[in-house]
Amino acid sequence: MLIDGLLIGGLIIVVGIGFSLCFGVMHIVDFAVGEWVMLGAYTGYIMVRYFGYDPMIYLPIIFLIFCGVGWMIYPLIYRAVSGKRHNPVIMGLVFTFGLSILAKGGALSVWGYHIQSITTWLSGKSISIGVLTIPALRFAGFVFGILVTILFMIFLYKTKFGIIIRATAQDRDTANLLGADVRKIGGLVYSLYAGVTGMSGVLIGTLFSIHAAMGAKYCTLAFFVVVLAGMGYVPGVIIAALVLGLLQSFVGVYIGGRYTLVALFMVMYGVLLITPKGILRRGI
Amino acid sequence: MELQASKAQAVPVPSVWRFTPLGLLLVICLILPWLASPLWIRIATEVLMWAGLAQSWNIIGGYTGYLCFGHGAFFGLGSYVTGLMMVKLGWPFGIGLLFSGILASLLAVIIGYPTLRLRGAYFAIATWAFGEMVRQIATILDVTGGAFGLQLPSFLNLRYFYYVMLAVTGLTYLTTYFLLERARFGYKLLAIREHEEAAEMVGVDTVSIKMKAFALSAFFPGVLGGIYAYWVTYIHPDSVLGAQLTDFMVVMAFLGGIGSLWGPFLGAVVVQLVQRILWLFWGEGTFYLVIIGAAICAVVLFIPNGLIGLMESRFLSPREAVSQLRKTFKW
Amino acid sequence: MILQSNDLVKSFGGVTAINHLSLTVEKGTVFGIIGPNGSGKTTFFNLVNGVYTPDSGRVTFDGKNITGLHPHRIAELGIGRTFQIPAPFTKMTVLENVMVSTFIRASSLKESRKMAWEILELVRLDDKGNTQVANVTLEDRKRLELARALGTKPSLLLLDEVMAGLTPSEVKAAIELIRSLRTRELTLIVVEHIMDVILSLCDRIAVLDYGQKIAEDIPDQIVNNKEVIRAYLGERYSARN
Repeated sequence: MLIDGLLIGGLIIVVGIGFSLCFGVMHIVDFAVGEWVMLGAYTGYIMVRYFGYDPMIYLPIIFLIFCGVGWMIYPLIYRAVSGKRHNPVIMGLVFTFGLSILAKGGALSVWGYHIQSITTWLSGKSISIGVLTIPALRFAGFVFGILVTILFMIFLYKTKFGIIIRATAQDRDTANLLGADVRKIGGLVYSLYAGVTGMSGVLIGTLFSIHAAMGAKYCTLAFFVVVLAGMGYVPGVIIAALVLGLLQSFVGVYIGGRYTLVALFMVMYGVLLITPKGILRRGI
Repeated sequence: MELQASKAQAVPVPSVWRFTPLGLLLVICLILPWLASPLWIRIATEVLMWAGLAQSWNIIGGYTGYLCFGHGAFFGLGSYVTGLMMVKLGWPFGIGLLFSGILASLLAVIIGYPTLRLRGAYFAIATWAFGEMVRQIATILDVTGGAFGLQLPSFLNLRYFYYVMLAVTGLTYLTTYFLLERARFGYKLLAIREHEEAAEMVGVDTVSIKMKAFALSAFFPGVLGGIYAYWVTYIHPDSVLGAQLTDFMVVMAFLGGIGSLWGPFLGAVVVQLVQRILWLFWGEGTFYLVIIGAAICAVVLFIPNGLIGLMESRFLSPREAVSQLRKTFKW
Repeated sequence: MILQSNDLVKSFGGVTAINHLSLTVEKGTVFGIIGPNGSGKTTFFNLVNGVYTPDSGRVTFDGKNITGLHPHRIAELGIGRTFQIPAPFTKMTVLENVMVSTFIRASSLKESRKMAWEILELVRLDDKGNTQVANVTLEDRKRLELARALGTKPSLLLLDEVMAGLTPSEVKAAIELIRSLRTRELTLIVVEHIMDVILSLCDRIAVLDYGQKIAEDIPDQIVNNKEVIRAYLGERYSARN
């Protein structure tokens, strides 16, 4: 049960990091995060249906597709956020809120309320590690999560771009003065975030069911993770995602599956009230 | 307030002609049930409900600037309170409604106390989490009928419900007019929205004012929820506590024009109209969501003051529109 | 004695912004506070105003202990304040901005409006009364800042770098305006960077450096104070002189 929780958590980390970075760099709360997951899952589903082969093969393609979509949408978000009108964070929030309704509506219109899923060569298989037998797919998801996290970390901390991104996240104006094109940086971050989240959508699609309204669930999970970690504080996401996984499993086993979401919300709500900057108080 | 920019020069004696469109609307609303078919009465009742809901949200979201993404919870609470009072306690409808409103306000005060301390995005997320939590709880509890919903006593009188809805929505608008547009309370809310710290600095007790606004904004959805419950006779956590309720409130208020008196009304009418026209021609249930989502994005990008704002400011000339578009996509 | 701070201390994380600061301001005077950037001037205002609560120490206003009170309560008691960077209520008119601040003194909306017009006349903004704040120049926004602070009918007014960003002629106008505010009923504490302004306006000046008061005296003496020169211009300059 513990392991199960950790494995799920691994996947969520990916979504969480992107989401957290999105807020950290651009101060945008992407209400559509769940919809990116959903669209990723559906894209994977479509590709498998029309082209065959294993969904895992399509991961890089999906990454690129979603990066592209994110790149194209970003100017709109930027514009929504940089008007001289109301609170820009609020405007960005409402805009992405609109996007999420659009995406959900579109998905519902095209695919209706049917539930789908994707199967891959790993489905149904198990791996033995030491004394434990784990479903191979969950393990793959976890590995994916870890890999992406490591790549992200390397990117953020060891490359030139990464340093620029982190600088922009900490102090936009100074970064601007030092020559960083804040707008392009935002665009890059958003594209990466979209791409990565779309990718994880495929994997989630193999693990769980796909339906047009699944976005809300992953939006919840993303919010939960980021709130616990502290908005914009990326390393905290790892811990928070693991906490999430553990909490889910724990509640599911000991209290009852129906209570999982309630427990999640209560914890999230509680954290927001007590330490709004995350458990480690490193958020923005 | 900018939408009625000449408030400072407001003529104390209202000219009769200014009230004509309003008077006309009122007359139409009052005689509608005697002229229209049952279908249209039902549609009108629903539009009125949404107009009231959107305006309620507008109080805390539009005027005060605290976007509550869980406002539907107050509607749902109202539904269940009235429902349970009538079913389990046998109390009359009116009393149920009163309790719905009061309990909704009470709930707002309870969760508002800690939540209103959060700023912008955090408040939105916290209220969103709160809304979902309430829905989950309603699904789990047995007293509410859990996932099976709650059945209320049957009362099929379309005109009755129309007038009750009209009365409550009317009350919502009257309250907004007198307390927010014409009183110091409204100015204080706007000040909080524009710059909360500065508002504190000039003597506005922001904590207390925000709580009052939140409680007020929860009262009407509570009552409206109660009416809805008795009207449709059967309620369920997904139907009265789902996120789509809040979504609609937010959409209507934004589309019509947040922070304005008639914006939410306009938004409610437009959204309902779009929804039904699409249902008529396309037959399906969900495509209108795409239109609505796109509309919100368009509103944020181009007309953040909503349709009301559009009517008050000048329209962009084609060349200006094109240059705006080019500026958006230029890298 | 209208305002007194006793041994105020305020830290943020590892930085001590205010380090055992004690000041006394006499009623009806113009008291100046100067100091290099980061010396804690704005933080001091925030402490007096109620925006921050000191870690230790006390602020007394007109005999009353106001430490830790909410800003709106302090405004009610009679302390007004302007922001360094004007923070008007953008979606309202100039008049409406001032009206909001009169709410604690006026008993009706009508009276608020009347009071607000009077204040606008005082600061020479009455011609812009019905203009949206968004359409108003920086200098006018600064006047609005002042007007709004005056709306609460304060007995103590904290002016935080009113001159910043103004052209020389605008500065002159601002000095005129501030001078005209001097009455027995209104005490002013002015934070400024422009030496000429401070020296000409103030009765007494305190100099802050790293959150501490390094000097307090009449203007003529302050300019010759060795510590002050050292704080502003550095060791080597003062050593040279």
